[in-house]
Order: sequence, then C-alpha cells, then structure tokens
Amino acid sequence: MKLDTSIYLLDWLFILKGAGITLFLCLNAMVFGSILGLIIGTMRTSKLSILKYISGAYIYIIRGTPLLMQLFLVYYGLPVFFRIIVSAYTTALVGLTVYAAAYLAEIVKAGLQSVDKGQKDAAKALGMTSWQEFRSIVLPQALKVIVPPAFGFFIALIKDSSLVAIIGFIELTRSSRMVISRTYQPFTIYLGVAVIYFVICYGLSIISQKYFKANRQDIPKASQPWKTVAIKVS
Amino acid sequence: MVDRNLILLELKNINKSFGNLHVLNDVSMTVVQGKVVAIIGPSGSGKTTLLRCVNALESIDSGEIVIENKRVNPKSRNVHELREKVGFIFQAFNLFAHLTTLENIMLAQRIVKKRSVKEARERAFSLLRKVGLEDKANYYPSQLSGGQQQRVAIARALAMDPKLLLMDEITSALDPELVSEVLDVVIQLAKDGMTMIIVTHEMGFARNVASRIIFMDNGRIIEQGEPNKIFNNPEQERTRDFLNKVLNHK
Ligand SMILES: Nc1ncnc2c1ncn2[C@@H]1O[C@H](COP(=O)(O)OP(=O)(O)OP(=O)(O)O)[C@@H](O)[C@H]1O
Ligand SMILES: [Mg+2]
Repeated sequence: MKLDTSIYLLDWLFILKGAGITLFLCLNAMVFGSILGLIIGTMRTSKLSILKYISGAYIYIIRGTPLLMQLFLVYYGLPVFFRIIVSAYTTALVGLTVYAAAYLAEIVKAGLQSVDKGQKDAAKALGMTSWQEFRSIVLPQALKVIVPPAFGFFIALIKDSSLVAIIGFIELTRSSRMVISRTYQPFTIYLGVAVIYFVICYGLSIISQKYFKANRQDIPKASQPWKTVAIKVS
Repeated sequence: MVDRNLILLELKNINKSFGNLHVLNDVSMTVVQGKVVAIIGPSGSGKTTLLRCVNALESIDSGEIVIENKRVNPKSRNVHELREKVGFIFQAFNLFAHLTTLENIMLAQRIVKKRSVKEARERAFSLLRKVGLEDKANYYPSQLSGGQQQRVAIARALAMDPKLLLMDEITSALDPELVSEVLDVVIQLAKDGMTMIIVTHEMGFARNVASRIIFMDNGRIIEQGEPNKIFNNPEQERTRDFLNKVLNHK
C-alpha cells in the first residue's frame, strides 16, 4: 500500500477549525480570566492586608511557574483532588483561566492605582459610598488604562495556548500535528500554522489599535497614562 | 455669644497626627449659619488637613465634630450623611475626568440623592447658568480652562444642596487672569447666604468675603476675629509676622 502524503484542502480546513477552537478557547479563558483578574486585582489594592496577601500569593505563584506545569497540575490534579474526570477542553480552559487571571490581576491593579486620588476624594466628598466610588469613578477610569495591556495579553495568550496541545486538546497546534503525522510534511504545515497564528494576532493588534484611536478623543491628555505605562505582558 | 441654634458647625479640640507629626493641635472653632469663615496661615500649618477632617476625608485622633447639633461619628455610616451636607471644592478641581460637565454635575444627584434624570438635569443646567457655563455642558474637563473647571466643581458641589461649603485654596492652581471669575462666583454665593469655610492665600478676598478670619500656624489656631481686627490690629506676634510677609510681597 502506498502512503498518500499530499496535503489536501480538507487538511487545511481541519487546521483552520483548530484555529477557530484556539480562538474560542482563548476568548473564554479571557472572559473568565478577566472576571477573576478583576476580583484578584481589586483585592490586591485593598486596605485589608489578608486580601492583599492572598491575592499577592496567587499572582506570584502563578507568574512564578511555567504555564505547562500549571496545565499538567490541572490535568492530573482535578481528577485526584476533586474526583472528577473532565474533558480536555475544560482542563485547557481552567488552566488558561488560572494563568490569565494572575497576569490580568497585575494589569488591573496597575490600572486601579493609576486613578488619581483626587478623583476618589471628590467622589467621597459628594457622599458616594465606597461601592459607588469604585463602580462610577475608579473603574471606568481604570478600564481605560487596563484594556490596552489586557488586549496585549490576550494576543500573547493565543500564542501561549499552543501548549494545551500537550494535554491532548485539539486546537490549532494539535490539529496541525495530526495532519503532519499523516502527511509527513512538517515544514509546509508548520509554516501554514505560523501564518495562521500571525494573522490572528496581527488582526487582533489592529483591532486594539483601532479601539484606542476611537476612545482617545474624549479622554483628557493628562489621563492617558497608557502612553507612558509600559505595556508589559507575559 | 451667638445663639446656639445658629451654629452650623462646631469643632471641639480636634487633634490629628500623621505619624509623629502633630498636624492639628486642639483646634476648636464654630461656624455660624450663613457666615463665611476664612482660614489663613503659612504653608504646612494644617489648613487643608482641617478642612479634610471636617468632611471626614481624613479621620481625627480626638475631639468632636458637631454639625447641626449632631455629632459626627467618623466610623459609622453617617459620614455619608455628613458629606451630603458638606460640599468640598478642591485646589485641583478634581472633576471626574471621564465625564462631561453635565455628567459631573448629574452623577451624585442621581446615585446619592436618587433624583430623576430630568430633575438632575434641570438642576445641573440651572447651576451651570449660575456659574456662567451653560454652553459647556457637553465638554470634558480637559477641554475647559482651570477657571471653568473650578466653576463646574462649584456647581457640582452646589447640586447636592450642601449646608456648608469647604473651599481649599480654590484659586491657587489658576493662572492669575482666571482667578477673579472664580472668586466672583464665591462672592455671589456669600451674598446668597451660603455658609462657607474658605482656606485662601488671597488676603484681599478673605477680607472682603469673610465675616471671620482664623489664623493658623503649626496646627494651632493662633488668633481669630473680625477681618478688620485681624488685618489692622492683630494681637499675636505671629499673626503680625505672617501678614507682614504676605502683604508686603503682593
Ligand atoms: N496624608 C499625609 N500624610 C502625612 N503628612 C501629611 C499628609 N497630609 C498633610 N501632611 C503634613 O501635614 C502638615 C499640614 O499639611 P496641610 O496640607 O494641612 O497644610 P496647609 O496648611 O494646607 O498647607 P498649604 O498652605 O501648603 O496647602 C504638613 O506638614 C504636611 O506635610
Ligand atoms: Mg493646603
């Protein structure tokens, strides 16, 4: 029997489907990671030292260990500690969410701290409660500082997410390896996959640039700190 | 002495320290309904801190703050009640940077006073008219001059119907040519009978608008009295020194 090693359109479609799954996975991890990151980042700026230490420990532990280890720990840990067998998708999602939350929490913290103290004083002086002050004054202003680097992190996460292929979840990288294992044409396939990752990430960075432009007009110059805040991710 | 019922605010032996720094030392004063009190004194004497304590933006170590015969307990919920009664105008304006002029004036009316959109809007426009900025309703703070921002800040505070306004050097961040447009608004407020505590370095203004001058130095009230007495005949050596310095430099 002769092996058919040519790459068919169907193979590329299979890989593209993997790309869609990668995007879907990262989008979900970003949504859950943002919610968790917002909570942890807010805890980080809390006056209560216990909240500060718990959130700080979380951030340092996650940022101080490789994503791959975290994925393995979720993969092997969930069944052992919680006695549940979860799908590869859930494992990947939990792993990436936990990872994203730590990085986003740092971004959130920096954003919250960038809001001028005078803004909070003014909110208090008008009789607002702490929650109203946070919700109506601090958060909206912080978000303008948070969103750009958070978006940058999202782009980085898409590249990092290729690691979940190792725990068996079929996304962009994994699906390309499956095609390679049949066609034995790693160079062509990986080149194609690299192009796909690039197109996704470049497209997202274009979107993010557009977003900032659209938002910039109504924001006072003095409070455009993202121009000076180093956009540091991963 | 004045009728007790006319006393709006009373501070009794307020003490406040930042670490080892004793910033307010046994400060006692009363503010009578409808009167303007001006606080003067050298930099670092504790004027800002005193105002911030009155509005519970800063906690006090000891002493009592009584407003409308009600003692303020800074730890309890009634700080919000207090802050609804007491407006604060800041040296740096502190308009909400992400909101327009109109939104700045409407926000607390909506969420603190629970007024309807219509009511809050009408009040905002009537106040903007009062400070002469009706046409700037949809501008963001960054699009306004300092003087305009400060007038919006005054309108924002007035929208809460405060019984007392605290003003902390509200013109010292302004270019000289913008000072008078803000002071004019304050003078009008005084004429309308608004009770105010004004911290200022503008001695002429203090003299004209206030019925009482308080001179502070090193966290203490050194001397207080009617403007004529303080400016023409200060009893204390330190008051004289201070006035000599500031008045001769003008
Ligand atoms: N949050 C703070 N922490 C520590 N020290 C403070 C704080 N706020 C004020 N101080 C100190 O307290 C003293 C009084 O400050 P305050 O701002 O009340 O003075 P001021 O009379 O308003 O001065 P100025 O005329 O310069 O505004 C100063 O020595 C100041 O450095
Ligand atoms: Mg001051």
